[in-house]
Amino acid sequence: MSEYNNLLEIRGLYKSFGSTKANINVDFTLKPGEIRGLIGENGSGKSTLLSQLAGIYGHDAGEMFVKGEPYRPESPLDANRAGIAMVMQELGVIEKLPIAINMFLGRLDKFTTAGVINRKMLRDSANAVLTKWELPGFGKNAMPSGAIEHNKIIELARALSVEPDILLLDEITQSLSLNNRTKLYKIMNRFKAMGKSVIVITHDIEEMIAITDSITVLRDGEVVGDVLTAETTAEKVRYMMVGREISGDYYRADRAPDYRDEVVVTAEHLTIPGEVEDLSFEVHRGEILGFCGLSDSGIHSVGKAVYGLSKLKGGSVRLTAKDITVKNGAVALKHHMAYVPKDRDNEALMLHARIIDNATLPSLGILRSALDFLSPRKLKKLSNEMIAKLTVKTTGYAQNIDALSGGNKQKINLGRWLAKDLDVLILDCPTRGVDVGVKAYIYQLMKEAKEQGIAMILISDELTEVIGMADNLIVMKDGRPVRSITRGDSFTEQSVIEVMI
Amino acid sequence: MNKFMSKLQDIVPIIAFVVVLLFFTVKSDGRMLSAFNISLLIEQSIIIVLIGCGMLFVVAQGSIDLSVGVNLAFSGVISMWASEQLESPYLMIPIAIIVGLLVGILNGVIVAKLKVPSFMLTLAMLIGLRGIVHKIQFKINVSYLSPDLYWLNKPVFEDVERLQFLTYKMIVFIVILAIMYYVFEFTRVGRNSQAIGENEIVAKYVGIRVDIMKIAAFGLSGMMSGCAALFSILNVGGTSQTMGSFTEMKVAMAIFLGGVLVTGGVTARMYKVILGSFTITIIVNGLALISLSQTEVSQSVEGVLLLLILFATIIANQRNARRITPLDDDPEENALTGSAEGNGAVVKV
Repeated sequence: MSEYNNLLEIRGLYKSFGSTKANINVDFTLKPGEIRGLIGENGSGKSTLLSQLAGIYGHDAGEMFVKGEPYRPESPLDANRAGIAMVMQELGVIEKLPIAINMFLGRLDKFTTAGVINRKMLRDSANAVLTKWELPGFGKNAMPSGAIEHNKIIELARALSVEPDILLLDEITQSLSLNNRTKLYKIMNRFKAMGKSVIVITHDIEEMIAITDSITVLRDGEVVGDVLTAETTAEKVRYMMVGREISGDYYRADRAPDYRDEVVVTAEHLTIPGEVEDLSFEVHRGEILGFCGLSDSGIHSVGKAVYGLSKLKGGSVRLTAKDITVKNGAVALKHHMAYVPKDRDNEALMLHARIIDNATLPSLGILRSALDFLSPRKLKKLSNEMIAKLTVKTTGYAQNIDALSGGNKQKINLGRWLAKDLDVLILDCPTRGVDVGVKAYIYQLMKEAKEQGIAMILISDELTEVIGMADNLIVMKDGRPVRSITRGDSFTEQSVIEVMI
Repeated sequence: MNKFMSKLQDIVPIIAFVVVLLFFTVKSDGRMLSAFNISLLIEQSIIIVLIGCGMLFVVAQGSIDLSVGVNLAFSGVISMWASEQLESPYLMIPIAIIVGLLVGILNGVIVAKLKVPSFMLTLAMLIGLRGIVHKIQFKINVSYLSPDLYWLNKPVFEDVERLQFLTYKMIVFIVILAIMYYVFEFTRVGRNSQAIGENEIVAKYVGIRVDIMKIAAFGLSGMMSGCAALFSILNVGGTSQTMGSFTEMKVAMAIFLGGVLVTGGVTARMYKVILGSFTITIIVNGLALISLSQTEVSQSVEGVLLLLILFATIIANQRNARRITPLDDDPEENALTGSAEGNGAVVKV
């Protein structure tokens, strides 16, 4: 092996898709033991850059060197051999196959004799990887649960099983809850200690500053600059990303709860076996009630339950003023409630349908006239208004929604509810997978909704978000509410984390 | 590019229709488009269109109703038998519709509440109900359409030569078609069915009563089978043991030929059913016209033609599907849509 200073060196990399230039003259170096952040708005070429490193795309021009050797991977397996492994942003787990097979997919040869897979050996190897990196183990023939977080951990384990020198993480922290994020940070620190490196993409600038050594900012496919994390601030990074100042308050500016006395939703003794135990709360007009907790705390079940989508073993959700029990989603929809689920692409949007189909779906009951007639003109008008109001980047309402970027999809996902006359808005991780710009905009929308007196429930894996926006917050642990905190001086991350764990 | 591809998906079925029509018109020396043959074509496609626009609701939801053919026979023989017993020919009409509806609702309840896959359930129905049809048909032995209902087969304008095909039943057909078109394209029933086919979880999470919508879709599908039974009896003049055999296959084929995907969703459109129904009727009718129908090859030719058209439709759709799996951060999508990304204009806090 030749002498090298840089574990990875990229010189003058170009990549284009059709007429769009995704990477333009990218220079990039990575030292052994370095944790590098890669940040930029949606579409700035971060994922493209990592995908080329991981052997998913080839590059058009430029050179790459790994440990001083020229590097041009033909496939992800090629990249693995060179010591590079990636955890992709899009989910890549085959849910019908056992976890162990998923982890070694494409590398099953070494467990195979005469075409038969030695399952025990495979399982042992898988568990060895999980134990080594302190990830949760699994039982015999365990299958992926299908939960995003669980899938992400399997993918992470798959990447780790390659024993990579360079680990590429494409927006994975946002799919993890706090306890698993902490585990990931530990893994990254161990990489660092071993002289191995990590490149991480995340939209959460605060997180990036907390975990990286240096940050590379991309804008429109070009490297805007490399900065040492210790010498920069979130504002500076944001400025580099967008190319201008993002002014004003990101979260709420006030430090005291501010809502009206009228109770809108009352939940009493909610119980869903294995998910939520005896949870009671009230949400007032104009209040934002936050929920936070670790991955198995049951916070994500709360949103579903309030919207009437869960089978309750006990308890009830009532709309207080109208004295209506929310038995099912149809009742919720009819009585001005809204639910924005966590998994936007699988639970909220019809990906293969047009914008207009998605944008008008919750409003069909309102837009109809006599004989249940849905006037195409009204549907178009609503969609166009939504696109204009939310500044959605699109060619028009007839465009397929999955041609939009994550941020623009989320704008439609949230905006289609805000176009209605709402009493209750349930948000489950509303800023998952969107960049700072859209994030700020979503907070702005929430503030507007608050002023209009909409009662909101904000469930989030991002503590700063809940603390930044909520009037009251309930910390949950193992399905039970353990503490409720009101906005004020004790409204800090520390005080929440203390009870969370 | 994007627009072109998504258009292609819709255009292929139309091209197929035109090609098939031209081919048989040329091959039959123009007899295909004679006034007589056109009225024959319409008459032959009535049943497929009728059932198809009911089944469309089911297909839109991503399910399938294979019981429509047997349901046609079932509601046909029961209504015939009941109206003979009660000596009231007009009772046949509501009875057929109600029986069809009930069978459909039964399907829907089983699919929605017991979560039995529609394919298996309706396949079981197809086999099981046929037995009952045989039994009833055996009981009523030979049955003929009551002369009281003959007027439905008569042209509205008997004196006008060119309007001979416009019979009273044709007017009924057009009215039914218009209603179904309206319900599918312009009401929540159709929209929600599409949403369920696109993604059932999304539909449920928005607050759509998925179970009720499923029952409604199967109910409509069954009801249209009942209507089709009446038209079938009007066409043939009576019932038989084999009535409705293979109808479910023809209807399903017509829907898919029209460009609706098996997964349903927003690809389900009413015009596609009508288009596909005519394509399949033209193939059958055209083969007869060029006197291939008597030979052993006819059904094979039919099969091959259908396969070719479906193949083209699916290729067009696949191209489209491949395009739409972008990485979230992937500018490729923007190359296709022409929208520069970056949300630069967004932050105005």
